[in-house]
Amino acid sequence: MPWIALTLIAFALGVVLQLRVRSPLANPTLVATLIVAGVLLVGGIPHARYLEEVRPLTALLAPAIVALAVPMYRLRALLARQWRSLVIGGLSGTLVGVGADVLFSRVLGLSGEAQRSLLTAPATSPVALQLAQFTGAPPALAATLAVLSGLVGALILPGFLTLIGVKHPLARGLAIGAVAHGVGTARAREEGELTGAASSIGMGLAALLVTVVVAGVSRG
Amino acid sequence: MTATEASLTARLSAPVRFVLGLGLLVAFAAAGQALVTVTRLPLPGSVVGLALLWAALGLRVVRLHWIAGAADGLLGILGLLFVPATVGFIGFLSAGANWGLWLLVMTAGLLLGGGVAGVLASRLVRPGQDGAQA
Repeated sequence: MPWIALTLIAFALGVVLQLRVRSPLANPTLVATLIVAGVLLVGGIPHARYLEEVRPLTALLAPAIVALAVPMYRLRALLARQWRSLVIGGLSGTLVGVGADVLFSRVLGLSGEAQRSLLTAPATSPVALQLAQFTGAPPALAATLAVLSGLVGALILPGFLTLIGVKHPLARGLAIGAVAHGVGTARAREEGELTGAASSIGMGLAALLVTVVVAGVSRG
Repeated sequence: MTATEASLTARLSAPVRFVLGLGLLVAFAAAGQALVTVTRLPLPGSVVGLALLWAALGLRVVRLHWIAGAADGLLGILGLLFVPATVGFIGFLSAGANWGLWLLVMTAGLLLGGGVAGVLASRLVRPGQDGAQA
C-alpha cells in the first residue's frame, strides 16, 4: 500500500509542478519516476518488490490503451476528411523514425538490449511495454526509452517544425504524435484543439504501425 | 426499445456510468487478449481490443456515452499508469555513459520521423473549413 500511495502522490505533485512551471521538463511522469526511484534507491528496495505491490495500477494499462479508441472515434469526421494527409504523413514519419532508430543504433554498435528497446520508442509507452515480450527487450528499458522519446520530442519538435516551415496545425500535431506519442500530445494540445486532435491520431497510427513492424520482425 | 435503453443509461449517475465504462474497457481488453491467444497473433491484446472497440462504436453496438467518462478518466492519468514501468530505469543505471548514445539515437529518430511526417502531412492536407484556407 505505501508504494501505491507514494506513486499517486508523486504523480499529483508532478501535475501541480507542471501547472506552476511551463517547461516540458516539468512532466508528471518524469517527476513521479524520479521521486519514486529516489525513494527506492535510498531505501535499497528492489524494483521487483515495488512492481509486485503496485500491480493494481499496472492492471489499468490495458483498458487505458483500449480507451484510445474514444478520441479517435470522436474525431472520425476529421479523420475521414483528411485521411490521406494523416495516414500517409503519420505512417511515413513513424516508419522513418523507427528506421532511423534501428539504423543509428546498429551504426553506433549499441547493445542488443538497447537496439530492441529503441525499436518501439516511437510508440506510446504502454504499447512499447506490451511489445517488449515480442522484441525480447527488457520491458523496463523499452518503457523508459519510450517515455523519454515523448519527453525529448515534446521539448525539441515544436521548434524544429517551425524551423523547417511546417505551419499547418494538423501537420504539426500529426508529426508530434507520430513519434512523441502521449507526452508529445499533451504538448501539442497547448498549440490548439486541432493540433492536439491530429497528435492523438498520430499517436494511434504509430501504435498500430510499430505493432505491425514488430510483428513482422519477430516472425522473420 | 433503443429509446428506452438510451433514456435508461442517461439516468445512470456519473460514478455508475464510470463503472460501466471501465467494465466495458476491461472487457474489450480481455476480448482482445483472448483473440490474440486463440489466433496466436504476435500483437498485444490491448491494441486488438482498441480496434475491436472502435469497430463496436462504429457499428453502434457500444454507445459513446457508456464509455466516454471512463475513457477520458483513464486517458487523463495515462502518464501515471506507466510510472511503475519507467521506475525500472534504476535497473539500468549501470549503463552509465551509454545513456548519451541512446538519447542521441532517439533524437535523430525524432527529428527525421517528425520532420518527414510534418512535411508530408502539410503537403497532403486538404484545404477546408479548418481555418487554414489555402
